Amino acid sequence: MAETVGDEFKRDRAAARPFSLKNRFIGIARVSPTLASGVIIILAFGFMAVFAHWLMPHDPVSAYPERVLKPPSAEHWFGTDGNGMDVFSRVIYGAKFGFGIAIPAVILAVAIGVPVGLVAGYRGGLLDEVLMRFFDGLRVFPSIILALAVVAATGQSLLNVVLVLGFLDSPVFARVVRSEVLSLRSSVFVESAKAAGNPTWRILFIHLLPNAIQGATAQAAVRAAWAVRISATLAFLGVGIQAPTPEWGAMIRQGAEFMVTGQWWVGIFPGIALIFLVFGLNLFGDGLQDLMDPRRRAVN
Amino acid sequence: MAIPLLVGIVFVTFMLVRVGGLDPVGRLAGPTATAEEFEMIRAELGLDEPLWKQFAIYGGNVVRGDLGESWLSNRPVLTDLKERAFISIELLFWGVGIGTLIGVPIGLRAAFRPNGRFDQISRVLSLLGFSIPTYWLGLVMLFVFFYLLQWAPPGIGRISLMVSPPDHITGSYLIDGLLTARWGAVQSAAAHLVLPVICLAIVSAAPIIKQTRAIALEVLSSDAARYARASGLPPKTVRRLVLRNSATPVVTFVGTEITGLVGTMSLIEYVFAWGGLGQYGLNAIVRGDFTAVQGYVLTLALFSVIVFLIVDIIVNLIEPRSELT
Amino acid sequence: MSLLEVENLRTHFISRDIDNQIRVAEALNDVSFTLEAGKVLGFVGETGAGKSLTAQSICGLLRPPAKVICGRVTFDGHDLTAMPADDLNALRGAEIAMVVQNPRTSLDPLTRIVDQLVRIHQAHAGGPLAASRTRAMEMMEAVGIPDPKNRANAWPHELSGGMAQRVLIAMALMNNPKLLIADEPTTGLDVTVQAQILDLLKHLTERFGMAMIIITHDLGIVAHYSDEIAVMFAGTIVEAGPVSEVFEAPGHPYTRSLIAATPERLKVGGGAKLGGQPPDLYNLPSGCALRTRCVFASDVCATPPPRTRVGPDHDVNCHFAGDLPS
Ligand SMILES: Nc1ncnc2c1ncn2[C@@H]1O[C@H](COP(=O)(O)OP(=O)(O)O)[C@@H](O)[C@H]1O
Ligand SMILES: [Mg+2]
Repeated sequence: MAETVGDEFKRDRAAARPFSLKNRFIGIARVSPTLASGVIIILAFGFMAVFAHWLMPHDPVSAYPERVLKPPSAEHWFGTDGNGMDVFSRVIYGAKFGFGIAIPAVILAVAIGVPVGLVAGYRGGLLDEVLMRFFDGLRVFPSIILALAVVAATGQSLLNVVLVLGFLDSPVFARVVRSEVLSLRSSVFVESAKAAGNPTWRILFIHLLPNAIQGATAQAAVRAAWAVRISATLAFLGVGIQAPTPEWGAMIRQGAEFMVTGQWWVGIFPGIALIFLVFGLNLFGDGLQDLMDPRRRAVN
Repeated sequence: MAIPLLVGIVFVTFMLVRVGGLDPVGRLAGPTATAEEFEMIRAELGLDEPLWKQFAIYGGNVVRGDLGESWLSNRPVLTDLKERAFISIELLFWGVGIGTLIGVPIGLRAAFRPNGRFDQISRVLSLLGFSIPTYWLGLVMLFVFFYLLQWAPPGIGRISLMVSPPDHITGSYLIDGLLTARWGAVQSAAAHLVLPVICLAIVSAAPIIKQTRAIALEVLSSDAARYARASGLPPKTVRRLVLRNSATPVVTFVGTEITGLVGTMSLIEYVFAWGGLGQYGLNAIVRGDFTAVQGYVLTLALFSVIVFLIVDIIVNLIEPRSELT
Repeated sequence: MSLLEVENLRTHFISRDIDNQIRVAEALNDVSFTLEAGKVLGFVGETGAGKSLTAQSICGLLRPPAKVICGRVTFDGHDLTAMPADDLNALRGAEIAMVVQNPRTSLDPLTRIVDQLVRIHQAHAGGPLAASRTRAMEMMEAVGIPDPKNRANAWPHELSGGMAQRVLIAMALMNNPKLLIADEPTTGLDVTVQAQILDLLKHLTERFGMAMIIITHDLGIVAHYSDEIAVMFAGTIVEAGPVSEVFEAPGHPYTRSLIAATPERLKVGGGAKLGGQPPDLYNLPSGCALRTRCVFASDVCATPPPRTRVGPDHDVNCHFAGDLPS
């Protein structure tokens, strides 16, 4: 019989290559360009955050009084702000805040949300009911208003911003984990684990948790994007981080008044940096879904 | 369902505001106040009573329509809120309305050809929409359309300073101007609406695109749609079936979206000095005006209850499965 | 000429994995069978054997990454694999109708029963609406829906599973199909209703002269309701023939194990139950896919088993066809 398309691929499979990082990346990029671009953007900003001190041409907080509000030039690529500080250096330094807030906030949210979701889903009953009602109630409020209110009420420090964002984010993880646990609670494999005499915590963490990880990972990226956005918004409103700290939201706040007088560079550049990092995280979170979509893998 | 939610929300915010650090006494008294003066202010504000009693008093007042007095504006909170509510609802209405009109068709079209070119582009754009800070977008728009091109009025307020606002009927200059035939005011109010509305529309369209696409895709792979295809119904009929079956979840989503967008709207109001409820709320929170914060929160909760009610009514009209029809 | 002729049908899932390698799930491999007009063919096999996929491949309902790699499907003289999508769509629901596993969710929840019946008639036959309505009423009678005048205006969610399945069958009948494919039509239903539905299907094929493919994993159903049987395993038909022949003298170890596992123990003994997992479609063993699970397996099974005729119209895909110990 004539060789069919199938036979051709079968030979390809027979010559299976060993695992390599390069192939993994190319493979992911072909299935999901979205995910791959997200990874690249996040890595670029991560690099910026870690090596900020090498990359910054000027000190981000030292003012040049004679160079106030200078437009972009060879000396100051993104111009200078109202205090005569170098906007380019400040934008680079700002990446530190982006990650410095998002990473601990998401870790905190996972640390709270995952156990809560596990227990609520597994135990069910009143506890579950009360928690879900509480989360529903929280949803009535726009997250920014909630974050703003709590930060304003509990004191304005960077640590507080992280704590508040972490807490406000935890219901998302609780929900993801809970729904996964609910669907598995009475499955054969949990029943047999129970029958084998496993203690409850073991069933929760060893048997149920791994199944919830995929959903939680996609959420982690999206929630990190949210944390970066909200922390910048708080700073823009003058809550939490204050100028002249080189944080993007605070920088946009400084640039706001100059926007209508023509010194656009003060506010525009930190905004673009903020958009890119949040965009990268969103691309990553959204792209993870592609890996689970068989249609995207189809070869024709 | 709605009543316990409202009571719960009032209670939680009340506690948060009292137990948390939003303490107006220090600010009211000023830095040089003595301990007696502090006590006097506390007594005046009713803060020396036990918490449960404070809540009971507040709750009783709320039921009677007395939300207390704002120390920022020195006016009854209810008056402040009433004056501003319609201003914000107008902005929200146009913004979300246009956002929905843009977002739903795009999401649907993307879903009908998943992974096609249109889908890829709309996906990237919607993710970008998720990532743009609202306030920054507002500022950039002001820079481009006011400063550079001079097409738009400056971002202060809802009507030009040169134009006297029309008589107060609804609170919306646009509608009041139309009702009183003040065409100059109508024109100026409309011009002031354009930029904030575009901002809100862009930001609200992004999640609507994404969610509509997801909903339609799910309906497309539902048993009903697959059976329709298996019975050889023409593609147009299948599409109609998918559209109709997507309607309920899309309407529900837009409903939840509206309440969530109040935050975005507040930021837009802040940037454009809109003077509505959102700006009032932000101000109250940042400045620690706690009677105003409570009133604001209550309004938000009430607002979401109303939105959910409207969503329920619409869903009831679409769905044969509901009990009401 | 037979009504339906399927020759060497191969359907594979071809997709790229995250290590940039192309992976192929060989879900259907050289499926061949014929079905005469008016006959009932029973497809049996464990879950994942490829029964539904066969039906979808025939009707052109595959979605990526599933793809017909080669093979031919001839229905009533037309080659379905070469037919333009629009023509095939016109054929589905008219000449070839389907009844599926989840009747309640398969109906359009937002359309009244009668309107769904009319819609499918209008889509294919056209003509005046009133005629479609009359036909809808007739078909509802034919499938035994009590009080069709009233039920016609019901919404899908108001129906029981059995009633919804009757509606689905009525929909399938609307355009007088030549072939009815019933994919596990009773799986989700109450046991008491199952027999009713199957009896109804059997009765209708006789009344309207349709051929039917009935897909199931219940050997008892096939024994009872069909003329021919095709036993599927890992995407191939391992044994096919007239029901009486196959149950009298099953020639394939897999068929025997299925019969042995059937509670009623239809006559023949000698088949041990086969344990084990279904094979990995991404990595089918060479030769016989049943090799690792079969008690009779020997070295020769590593080569593709030949198709052997063991009785009138009775074929078995096995090296030991015909000379298994009984
Ligand atoms: N996207 C996919 N990729 C790979 N294999 C698939 C995919 N979808 C279905 N399959 C496989 O196709 C096989 C045939 O399934 P199906 O025809 O539904 O079996 P059944 O006999 O139970 O009706 C199954 O073994 C299933 O694992
Ligand atoms: Mg099946």
